[in-house]
Amino acid sequence: MISTIGGVHGRLLRVELRDNGGAGWTEPLEPAVFSDVIGGIGLASLLLLRLCPPGADPLGPDNPLIFATSPFAGTGITTSSKIAVAARSPQTGMIGDSLSSSYLALELKRTGHDALAITGTAPEWSVLVVEDGTTHLIPADGLLGLSAGETAERLRAKLGTAFRVAAIGPAGERGVRYAAIANDGRLAGRTGAGAVMGAKRLKAIAVRGSRLPRAADPRAVAALARDLAERSVGPATAKYREIGTVANVAFFNRMGMLPTRNFAGGHFAEAEAISGETLRLEHHTGRHACAACTVGCEHHYRTRDGGPETSARLEYETLFALGSLCGVSDPNVVLRASALCDELGMDAISAGGTIAWAMECRERGIDLGVPAEEIPRWGDGAALLRTLGQIGTREGIGDLLAEGSRAAAERVGQSSEEWAMHVKGLELPGYDPRKLKTLALGLAVAARGACHNRSSAYEVDLSDRLDPEVDARARAAAAAAAEDQAALLDSLTLCKFLRHALGDVHEESAALHRAVTGLPTTVDDLHAAGARIGEVKKRFNLAQGWTRALDTLPPRLLQSESSGDGSPIDPIWLDRQIDAYYAARGWDTEGRPRERERREAVATSSLRSALAQRAT
Amino acid sequence: MTPIQRPPSSNPSPITHHPSPSVTVELFGVPRLLVGARSVAATGATLADLAMDLIRQSPALAGRVLDAITGWPLDGYSFVVDEQFTRDRNLPLPPGTSVLLVASAAGG
Repeated sequence: MISTIGGVHGRLLRVELRDNGGAGWTEPLEPAVFSDVIGGIGLASLLLLRLCPPGADPLGPDNPLIFATSPFAGTGITTSSKIAVAARSPQTGMIGDSLSSSYLALELKRTGHDALAITGTAPEWSVLVVEDGTTHLIPADGLLGLSAGETAERLRAKLGTAFRVAAIGPAGERGVRYAAIANDGRLAGRTGAGAVMGAKRLKAIAVRGSRLPRAADPRAVAALARDLAERSVGPATAKYREIGTVANVAFFNRMGMLPTRNFAGGHFAEAEAISGETLRLEHHTGRHACAACTVGCEHHYRTRDGGPETSARLEYETLFALGSLCGVSDPNVVLRASALCDELGMDAISAGGTIAWAMECRERGIDLGVPAEEIPRWGDGAALLRTLGQIGTREGIGDLLAEGSRAAAERVGQSSEEWAMHVKGLELPGYDPRKLKTLALGLAVAARGACHNRSSAYEVDLSDRLDPEVDARARAAAAAAAEDQAALLDSLTLCKFLRHALGDVHEESAALHRAVTGLPTTVDDLHAAGARIGEVKKRFNLAQGWTRALDTLPPRLLQSESSGDGSPIDPIWLDRQIDAYYAARGWDTEGRPRERERREAVATSSLRSALAQRAT
Repeated sequence: MTPIQRPPSSNPSPITHHPSPSVTVELFGVPRLLVGARSVAATGATLADLAMDLIRQSPALAGRVLDAITGWPLDGYSFVVDEQFTRDRNLPLPPGTSVLLVASAAGG
């Protein structure tokens, strides 16, 4: 079957792992899908809604593991080579979705499919090999215990370097609930897709293909892509090239919003030691770009303390989570910790957030079921590294911390839930909601939990777009608009670092979408798609037991007693913002999409189809 | 109603020139790396005036962070005045105002 629209194949590859090895087959993706939810995160979310039965065990065979590309992948449009990964999260029980850049997206698309959905469980540890239209399993002999990078290296040596590999590390093998899936040195990090893959006994997926779909208007795509590429290397993205996201540390600290010691405060006295500026001057070794990216934001650093030399890439989120959040000020330790998270294959934000919770438990004398000296103290770099290793192998205290801060606190009790810093089970990113009020709302209502990338509302706070004292309605509208735009970019699989290089995100994206797909896409269509993708995620969460009670912030941020030097958020104020957000979405007061809106405004053929075909 | 009393005109005060106050502009990220300092002193009665003086004081910022002609931040950069992001060129800068020059934060 050849797709009737450009840039896509209109095909989903299904793989069911069974005791006899499993089966693979192709299913059509109706053309409306690519206008309704675009691709990437939108497509992965829609497929998850369709394929995941309500109540499916996140680590059981029925939870589908989905990889999805966008119409832009393979077109040469800068930054568009990203793959979306979705599953029911073993960390949150809600939607789990992540994006990872580089070659895997291109290779999956070359197989003649826009997406891959894996269900079932392999009879033994295996590697799924996808080559154009064929699939088969090979044993993962000699791969267990290896990092994702080492696994990819061995598989490419064995199968051929034309293969691209997604793999899990030891953390995924051992079911660490925030384990990641890695490809080409990048990670689909948040919400534990690596644990889902490990539960399916898949150590890796190796992909090779030979045919990309044609764009509807290749000349127009080339011209638009060239223009965007030129702008993508201007001043609007210089921050990412010249210093990277680590630049946030010093500025956030100056503003009192650098999360420090498990969000006890927003000022880290030793922040300069781990600032982006210091790292740039004293540890920087080079810069890399993902496939099909002109921005080149990935910075690499090297330890310089005379100890074992370690190279690592570092982003702000890794730096805050393994640095100030744990009271660690030695950049060499943070670099080693970041490298260790990559090697073990786990999300550094959740790892750091969960360790920070344990550090606070020790300070408060909470019994975590192990001798107190096995629990790291604030700022103890050696203990941080030791604990990360224990999490990756689920040894000692690591077995508890591998569950994430919410589950660990529920198990331990003793009021430790009060300082477990998560939303819906996902640990908070490095933005203090007490200082960023639109983000406070955005994090509370975000479908995948406390995620700055899905909410994006910090952009509103860190700009002059909104008066800080604005009313709830205006703030809710701004938070919803930021979330919708993020959903759109994640579904077009355009990097958010292009935001300031794009004159008007929706206008330029519509022009690109028209040229790639041949569909008559308008700015309004893309605004509607952004909102629709949010509704798809909400409907998935509703099917998995979401209630309004989950749309909240950690008690520490809402209470004055333990909130440290940041002003706490008034719970009544937050409730009012959430009410306004639901109203802005056209949802009822309990945060559920109304049937009338579903029928008339947001629902589309592909969403109706997903709901009708939903697995039970 | 008591009429407003004008000040006596027989002894007018001489016209005096008040120089614009000096403001310490704290630099973060790329601006700090380009200038090689954590802060620079600049003067200006308004934010636009300050930007003009900043580009004179720190030509390394021209074309990369600040517009080479006007000194105004290029896309992706911003002033933060007294903890508020602003693009108000006419914003007055009384003594003691805190001014930061930063890259727009995003992602991580």
